[in-house]
Amino acid sequence: MSDHQAQASYLDPEVLQKLGSLELIAREVVEGLRVGSHRSQLRGFSTEFAHHRQYAPGDALRNLDWRVYGRTDRYYTKLYEAETNFDCYLLMDASASMNYTSGKVSKLEYAKFLAASLAYLVLKQRDSVGLSIFDSEVRAYQPPRSSMSVILQIEKLLRELKPVPRTSLAKQLHDVALMMKRRSFVVVISDLLSDVDDILAGLEHLRFDGHNVVVLHTLDPYEMEFPFQGAWCFEGLESEEPLTTQAERIREDYLASFNDYVEAIRNGCLASQVDYTIVDTSRALDDVLREFFHKRQEMPGGPSAGARG
Amino acid sequence: MTFLNPLILLGVLGISLPILAHLINRQQIRRTDWAAMQFLNRSVRVRSRQIRLRDILLLLLRCLALLLLVFALARPASVQEEGRSLLGEQRAGVIIAVDGSFSMAHGDEKATRFERAIEKVKLIGGQVTRGAPVSLVLLGGEHRVVLRNVAYDADRFAEVLAELKPGPEVMDVNGIPQSLESLVQDMDAPQKEVYLVTDTQTRDWGDVSVPTFDAIRSLSEIAAVFLIPVTGSDDNLAVTGLDLVSGTLRNGAVARYRATIHNFGKNPAADVEVRCRVEGVQIDSKRIAVIPPGTSQTVSLFVPFYNAGPTRITAEITPETTGDKLAVDNVRHVVAVVRDTVAVLCIDGSGGAVSQLAMAGLLARAGDVSDEDEGYQVDTVQWPSMPQKPFDAYDVVILADVPEITQQQSKALLDFVRQGNGLVWFAGENVKVPQWNQVSDHGGRALLPAKLGSVVDASDDLGVGKPLAATLPDHAICRPLRSLPEDLLNETRFLKRIQVELGNTSVPVLSLAGTNAPLLLEQSLGRGHVCMFTTSADTVWNNMALTPVFPMLLQQIVTYMVGREFEQPRIVGDSLSLFYVDQPDASDAVFDTPSKKTLTVPVSEHRNQYLAMLEKSEESGFYTARVSVQAPGMPVAVNVDTRESDVACMDQEELRESLQGTAVTVSVDEADLMADINVVRTGRSYWRLFMILALCLLVAESLFADRLQGRKQSKSQSSKDATPSMTLNQESA
Repeated sequence: MSDHQAQASYLDPEVLQKLGSLELIAREVVEGLRVGSHRSQLRGFSTEFAHHRQYAPGDALRNLDWRVYGRTDRYYTKLYEAETNFDCYLLMDASASMNYTSGKVSKLEYAKFLAASLAYLVLKQRDSVGLSIFDSEVRAYQPPRSSMSVILQIEKLLRELKPVPRTSLAKQLHDVALMMKRRSFVVVISDLLSDVDDILAGLEHLRFDGHNVVVLHTLDPYEMEFPFQGAWCFEGLESEEPLTTQAERIREDYLASFNDYVEAIRNGCLASQVDYTIVDTSRALDDVLREFFHKRQEMPGGPSAGARG
Repeated sequence: MTFLNPLILLGVLGISLPILAHLINRQQIRRTDWAAMQFLNRSVRVRSRQIRLRDILLLLLRCLALLLLVFALARPASVQEEGRSLLGEQRAGVIIAVDGSFSMAHGDEKATRFERAIEKVKLIGGQVTRGAPVSLVLLGGEHRVVLRNVAYDADRFAEVLAELKPGPEVMDVNGIPQSLESLVQDMDAPQKEVYLVTDTQTRDWGDVSVPTFDAIRSLSEIAAVFLIPVTGSDDNLAVTGLDLVSGTLRNGAVARYRATIHNFGKNPAADVEVRCRVEGVQIDSKRIAVIPPGTSQTVSLFVPFYNAGPTRITAEITPETTGDKLAVDNVRHVVAVVRDTVAVLCIDGSGGAVSQLAMAGLLARAGDVSDEDEGYQVDTVQWPSMPQKPFDAYDVVILADVPEITQQQSKALLDFVRQGNGLVWFAGENVKVPQWNQVSDHGGRALLPAKLGSVVDASDDLGVGKPLAATLPDHAICRPLRSLPEDLLNETRFLKRIQVELGNTSVPVLSLAGTNAPLLLEQSLGRGHVCMFTTSADTVWNNMALTPVFPMLLQQIVTYMVGREFEQPRIVGDSLSLFYVDQPDASDAVFDTPSKKTLTVPVSEHRNQYLAMLEKSEESGFYTARVSVQAPGMPVAVNVDTRESDVACMDQEELRESLQGTAVTVSVDEADLMADINVVRTGRSYWRLFMILALCLLVAESLFADRLQGRKQSKSQSSKDATPSMTLNQESA
């Protein structure tokens, strides 16, 4: 085991071992100079045979399969798949609200595990991983690299971070979008506790730039179920006015409001062709990732559905 | 408002429990950081405030329910007229007091007052709930509690009522409020009602004393008091007196008794026949033509005595001739103890003149009968020969102008009187005042009724003595003199008398006209009497011995003194005592009642004497007291108190006016009574009202809390169904 792997405390070896049989399938085949295991949308420029098709006038004669002609007297053109490398950007929300935890692991910590795991997988496939951490502004930006040291960079960046309340998610997403030079695979890890329109505006900007966007909506189970009983005083992590109340009495109102919010985000993502997944921080990380990848492979358009050509 | 179980009010402190729980709950607020504050938005905050308000409302409901519950258990009751409610308790503790005095036996052809009172009581009993506490009192001289705080049972109540009857007693109005108040205090009932069923005699209720009025008012403040009059006709005749006027109670003599008949009604009574019976045999009869209303008439009844010993004498008016409706006061009883002879010892200190006058005075009266020596045995002894030993052989000792006696003689005379005999003392020239004052005193008990002083002149400026005071007291000794003409009475003149300083127990019987200086004093010593003349028995200080006054007075004094205790008539309710000179052989005495019941009374020792006391006589007529079952009896006359014979009743308006200022309700007829009961019974107790309110509040609180809880649960269930994690699971599936 290399040193950097030993220092990466977020990466549970068991988790990574379980993930070893899985492959990260990008939603779109992005352009890349580096050949990887991902299929390129631009067939014919690579050397890996894909399949034959009947010759049509205008096809390049160098792609004609003469051997097939010799056996069958028919003209077939050989089509090749080009394996490209891709850039994966992990946009990680490190605002104060991510510090909430109902158990031992806060949302921020869980997000760290998640980001590290994803980065590891991407790097293991010899693709590039970039990282952007933001709260009220973009606090750190790491351009995509294919070296495993990027995981240590993530660790270092998060350690030095002092979370502050977030004002607008869209602004940060706009800023990050400007930093990305080409179309990439963008994973947004955030609790999205902000205005819905603001969130969707930011995500649409990324989609408009042609990025394949995945939202991992990281939520604490208490935020989803609100299981409090008795008198509680809720003190906001982002300087909101505290509220003292009988928790069980307001639960239905809270859940109604929460569900409306989740539904709005889900619908907004669906409309923008953004892949949206809720991540429950009480669940095991490997289960979440396995479920995430499995869902993507089951999608009607395949793992690459939704990518722009 | 009062509370029947005030100690339960301490339960009000329990109200602190929900308040404490509320405060503790508030103190136990837990704090947490929270990221998703955007979902605790304005509507949630408004709802939180609503929840706080609801919590306070629930707390108030719980506290109020608890408060009402405690109040209900404390059994609140109101004694005020206002504030009645239909939710008041119908169950009431009832105290029924029925007048049992003999005036209630008065009636008409249909029914007596008492019978009508019992009908009223039955009516009241019909309104009592089965099992409710009931007390029944028969009012009289002593108010007898027939039923005390028993659970009402109609059959048992009817049985008790059937046994009630009026007694020969006078009703003690003043004692009614206290008796009933104690019963009210003993009764544990949310509402207490007192029903007083009486004939509301004017003599009882017309002029109620201030303390009694205050007591009635106090009673009406702790219970609903109903006065239910059962009135009737005012007409009633009664024999109010039968007294020995003159004559000696000796065998063979004739005594004159005076019977007094009073018409208490408003109509004149005509042709009233008065019959006199001796030992049940009618021996005389007189008729009174008319007795005007409100007046008394007297008739003289001459009673001859043919046998020595106690003799029962009655005077009665016959209801057949008068149509009188109240029988118990139509007869008067008296007992005369007839003797064969009366032994008198006259001790003369004047040399013989006085004793002769005294003997002449006694025997002059005795001379009216056949044998002048047979009635009285008069022995005369000169002062120097006065015996030292006891005077047991005599009934009366006369000391006339005795200069002095020894201490031993004085002690012997004191014991002689205390055993039931008589002593007559005359002043005179020879009396040595200091010696008498010295020997008379026996350590606080004086032999003579007064301390002697100097001799003073009682004559006027012309040297004529003063006569007796015209107004003679109603004393047995004076009765013969009252029938004397005034001029004959004025012939008796007194020139000198000895000044006296009256003792505590002495009573002046005769006084001198003008100065009211006492001439004759009387005092009781033990069972006997001492009569003391402040003038002499001879003719030096007065001319009394020369007038008819002297023999009449001397005869009457001797008759009065030899009379035994049981000759004095008693009133129903008085105690009857039988004294023993020596320790009796039997431990119990026996009293036979007029209704032939036999009562055994233990003999007890009291002040060196043995006596048996029947504490209360309950019937009118002749009781017979015997020292043992086999011993001959001594009759005792017991009469009714004729104050009760005034059966005039107050009408409704007079009653209300008399009881104005109290909360007593006067209910005359049945409809009024039922209406009054209904009104008062529906308002006094509030425990049911409080209990219903408390339960309503508890139910409201429960429903309110359940509604909040139910709404919360249903919404939370629906919310749980739509939880995002579930959505995620569904998607992954």
